[in-house]
Amino acid sequence: MTSTRISRRSLLGLAGAAAGATLLGACGGGDSGGKSGSTKTIKWWHIANTDPMLSKWAEMAHQFEAAHPGVKFEITPLENEAFKTKLTTNIQAGNPPDIFHTWGGGVLFQQADAGMVKDITADVAAWKDTLIPAALDPYSTGGKTYASPVDTGMVGFWYNKDLFGKAGITTLPATWADYLDAVRKLKAAGVTPIALAGKEKWPGHYYWAYLAMRVGGLDALKQAAANKDFTAPDFVSAGAHLKELVDLQPFQTGFLAAGYSTPDGQAATMGNGKAAMELMGQWAPGVETDSSAGKKGLGDKLGFFPFPAVDGGKGQITDAFGGGGGFAVGKDAPPEAVEFLKFIAQPDNARTEAKTAAVLPVVAAAADAVTDPNLKLVAATLAKSTGFQLYLDQAYAPAVGQQVNDSVAELMAGKTSPDKVAKAITDAAKQG
Amino acid sequence: MVRRRRRTWSTIALFLTPALLIFGLLVLTPMVVAAYSSFFSWNGFGAPTDFVGLGNFRRLLVDDIFVGDLERTLLLIVLSMVIQLPVALALAMLLNQPLRGRRLYRMVFFAPYVLSEVVTAVLFTMIFSPNQGLANHLTRLVGLGDLGATWLADTDTVMYSLFFVISWKYFGFHTILYLAGRQAIPQELHEAAALDGAGGWNAFRHITLPLLGGTIRISVFLSILGTIQLFDMVWVLTGGGPIRSSETLAVTMFQEGFKRFHVGYASAISMVIFLISLTFGLLYQRFVLRRDLEGAVTTMGDQR
Amino acid sequence: MSTPARLTRSGLLHVLSILVGAAIVVPIVFGVLGGFKDNGQLFNNPFGLPKPWVPGNYTAALSSPAFWRQATNSLTIAVATTALVVGVGAMAAFIFARYAFPGREAVFTVFAIGLMFPFAVATLPLFVLLRTMKLLDNPLGVILPQVAFGLPITIIILRSFFRSIPAEIEESAVLDGCGPLRFFLRILLPMSRPALGTVSVLAIVGSWNNYLLPLIVFNDSKWWTLPLGVQQFQSQYSSDTARILAYVTLAMVPSLVFYAVAERQLIGGLTSGIGKG
Repeated sequence: MTSTRISRRSLLGLAGAAAGATLLGACGGGDSGGKSGSTKTIKWWHIANTDPMLSKWAEMAHQFEAAHPGVKFEITPLENEAFKTKLTTNIQAGNPPDIFHTWGGGVLFQQADAGMVKDITADVAAWKDTLIPAALDPYSTGGKTYASPVDTGMVGFWYNKDLFGKAGITTLPATWADYLDAVRKLKAAGVTPIALAGKEKWPGHYYWAYLAMRVGGLDALKQAAANKDFTAPDFVSAGAHLKELVDLQPFQTGFLAAGYSTPDGQAATMGNGKAAMELMGQWAPGVETDSSAGKKGLGDKLGFFPFPAVDGGKGQITDAFGGGGGFAVGKDAPPEAVEFLKFIAQPDNARTEAKTAAVLPVVAAAADAVTDPNLKLVAATLAKSTGFQLYLDQAYAPAVGQQVNDSVAELMAGKTSPDKVAKAITDAAKQG
Repeated sequence: MVRRRRRTWSTIALFLTPALLIFGLLVLTPMVVAAYSSFFSWNGFGAPTDFVGLGNFRRLLVDDIFVGDLERTLLLIVLSMVIQLPVALALAMLLNQPLRGRRLYRMVFFAPYVLSEVVTAVLFTMIFSPNQGLANHLTRLVGLGDLGATWLADTDTVMYSLFFVISWKYFGFHTILYLAGRQAIPQELHEAAALDGAGGWNAFRHITLPLLGGTIRISVFLSILGTIQLFDMVWVLTGGGPIRSSETLAVTMFQEGFKRFHVGYASAISMVIFLISLTFGLLYQRFVLRRDLEGAVTTMGDQR
Repeated sequence: MSTPARLTRSGLLHVLSILVGAAIVVPIVFGVLGGFKDNGQLFNNPFGLPKPWVPGNYTAALSSPAFWRQATNSLTIAVATTALVVGVGAMAAFIFARYAFPGREAVFTVFAIGLMFPFAVATLPLFVLLRTMKLLDNPLGVILPQVAFGLPITIIILRSFFRSIPAEIEESAVLDGCGPLRFFLRILLPMSRPALGTVSVLAIVGSWNNYLLPLIVFNDSKWWTLPLGVQQFQSQYSSDTARILAYVTLAMVPSLVFYAVAERQLIGGLTSGIGKG
C-alpha cells in the first residue's frame, strides 16, 4: 500500500525542490565579474571628471562598444589628485586598470619597469605618422613606447596688457635682462609683477626648468638626468639667474602659502587683474576666467609671450617646456584596449577632444579644431618649437621631481643658494 | 569553583573575540607588513627585495627635516597642554551651567569637529589670506595696526597659525569628553558643597577637578598621541610648508612614501612614530594612569 | 547667591558663551555664505554678504541625484560602522574594565597600538588584503576597516567609563542572579549612555569625513560617499571652490543633526548621578 503509490505530498515536495535548485543555480552562476561567455570588460580610468569631456569620453566608449560587440567599458572618472592616489595603490598592488591616464616621463617609466604597463611600440606604429613630431617622446624610453598621447601643450608667460601699458612696457621682453627690467618697471608703477602659487611648488619649478633649458640647452638637461648629476655650472648659473628675479621681490604678498586654483591663489590673482604675469601652461586662461569676478577673466587684455632667452645661453627661445596627457595600457588588458586607443586617435575623435576639452591635439589633422584665440597662440608657438622638454616633476623619477620642486621653492623663499639647489637635486637623483 | 573559572574564561573569550579578530586582521596585519618593509629600500612595486637593515633608520637620525619634525611636534604638544586643553575644560564647565540656549551652544561648539579637514583648511586659508583675510582685518580693528602678518606664508608664524586652526577644529572633541565626565559626577556632591558654603572656584578645585581626573588623564593621553600622529590638518592647510617649516612626522612620512615612492623609508618613519607613541603610552600608563588601573574590582571575574 | 549677583553671573556667562560661540561660528558662517557666491566673489569679497546671491550652487547640489546617492551611502556606512564599533568595542571594554586575567594589560596595549600608527602607511597592505577578501567595490570593504581602526579609541574611552561604575551595582546584580551578558546588556550599557553617546558621535564623524579609504576601495562611483563626491567640482587645474563650499555645507548637516540628537538623548540627558540607589 505504501510502496506503489507516491503520495501527492512527496510529489509536490520533489517538484518544489527541483524548482528551488534551478533558481539557486541561476543565482549562483551568472554574475561573477564580466567574463561570462565572450564579454570582455575594459576598465578605463581617466581624469576628465567634469562635463563636457566626461560625456564625450563616455560617448566614444559607447560607439566603440557598438562596433565591437562583446566589449564593455567600466569607466572610473577621477579628480587629478584622487586619481594619482588611487592609481598608485592599484599599481603597487599589481592591479593596474586596463586603460589609464598618464603624464608620461619618469613616473610612467617606473610603472613600466615594474611590468605593470604594456609595451605598445608595435601597435602605436600603426598611427604614429598621423601625430605631430615629438608627440611620442614623453611616453617612450629605450626605443619602447608605453602610452598613446592624446594632447599636448606648453608653458609660457601670460600677461595683462593693460598693466604692462600702465608700467610703460612697450616691447615684450625677449631676453632675461629685458625681463628683469620689465619687472622693475612694473614694481615702480605699483603693480605686482608676478602671481605665483608658492604652496603648490610645481608652478615655481617652471622658472628654474626654463632657465636651465635656456642656459644649458635641452641636451644638458637630458644628460644630467641620465648621469644623475645636476652640478654642472650651467645649472648653478640658472639658479643664480632665478635668484636675481627673486631678489626683486616680484611675487604677490603671501605667495608662499598661495595655491593655484584656490579663491585667492595664482589664477584668481591673475584673473582679477591683481598681478601682471604668470608663467603657466595652456590651461591658464580657462582657470583665470573660472576664478575671476563674474567669470569674466581678462578677455582680450590677456596676452602670451614665450619665456625669454638668456644672453650667452646654449638654449634657444624656441625650445618649449610643457606636457600633456596620454593613455597607458595595463598589463592585463585585452587587445581591444589598444584598439580603442587607435579609435580615439582618429582625426574626428581627436577634433572632438580638442574642441570639447580645450586642449591642443597631437593628431596633426585635428589642429584645425583649435579655435580659442589663446590656445591658437600657444599652438602657433608650439608649432615653431625647436625642441621639447616635459615638466621636470614628471620627466624625472618621482623622488627627483619632488626634490626639484622642493629645492626651487626654497630658492624662491630665499632660504637656499643656487649651488645647494644643484647639489640637493643631484643627491636625490643618486638616491633614487 | 572550577565551573566558575570556566564560565569566566568563556565570557572573556566571547566578549573579546570579535574585537580581536577584526582588529588583528585589518589593523595588525597591515602594520606588520609596513614594519617589515621598513628594513628594505622599496618603491612599492612588487615585493620588497633590497634589504638595507637599519639603513633607513640611520638615514632618519641625520635628516634635518626629521629632527625639525620632532621639535615641531614638541612645540605643538606644549601648546596643547598649556592652551588648548585648559580652554576645552573651561568651555565644558561653561556648557554645564544652567544657561538658556545651552543646547544650542553645545551644538555650535561641537560643529568644527564635524567639519572635514579639507573644508576647515579652505576656510582658514581665506581667513589668513594676507590681502583680504579676516585675521588681518581683525588685528586692524582691534588696534594692533597693520601687523603685516602673512600668517601661513611666514616660516616664523606658520606653526602658531596652524596651532590655532587645530585648536579650533579639535577642541570640541575634548570638550565633549569633559562634559560627559562632568555629567557623571553626582549632583549631590556639589549641592552638599554649596550647603557648606563652598561655591564656584572652591567646588571646582576640590570636587570637580579631582573627580574629572580620570577623564582629564585620558584626554591628555589622546591629545598627545594625536599630536604625534598629526597629519590631515597639516597636509590640507599648509602641505607642510612653507618650505617644510610646518611639517610633522606623519607629513614627512606621507611625502616620502606617496610622493617620492620611498616606501621603505616611509615605513621606517612610521615605525619611529609608532615607537615614540608606544614609549609615551607605556610610560604614561605606568606613571600616570596607574591609579586608574588599580583594582579591577569585579564580582564576575576573579576576586582578588 | 543674591539675585543681582546671580543675574550678573548669568549675564557674564552669556557674554562669554556668545564670544566663544562667535569665534567658532564665524568661519563656518563664511563657509555657508561662500556657497552663495562664485569664485570671483570669493576673491574680491570673501567675508561680506554675497553680492549677488548665487543660489545655484546649493540648488544644483540638492537637485542632483548623485548628491543624494552619495549621502545615502555615507549614511549607511556611517551607521553600520558606528553600530559595529560601539557594539564590539563595548564588549571588549567591559572585559578590560571588570575582568582580571593574566596578560590583560598587554592585550589592552595591543589595542592602544592602533592609535600609534599612521593610517596612511597601512593603505597598501590593507588594499591587498581587501582585494584578497574580495571586498573591493563593497561597502563592507570600508565599514570593516573603519570599525577596526575605530576600536582603539572606543575601547579606551569606554573602559575608563565602565571602571567608574561602582562595584556595588555589580554585586547586587549578581545577587539577583544576573549573568555577565544580562548585566552587560540590561544594566551596564544603559548606565553608560554619556560614554556610548560620545563614542558614537566620534565614530559617525570619523566615518562621515573619511576620504582615503573609500577612495581606494570603490571603483564604481555608485558607491561613492560624500567626501569623494566633492571631486566633481575639481578638475586637473581648477577647482570651483564656491560649489565645493555649498556641497560641503550640505554634507555637514547630517553629522550636526546626529550630534544634536545624540547630545539630547545620551550625553546631556542625565541629571541624576550614577551613585544613587
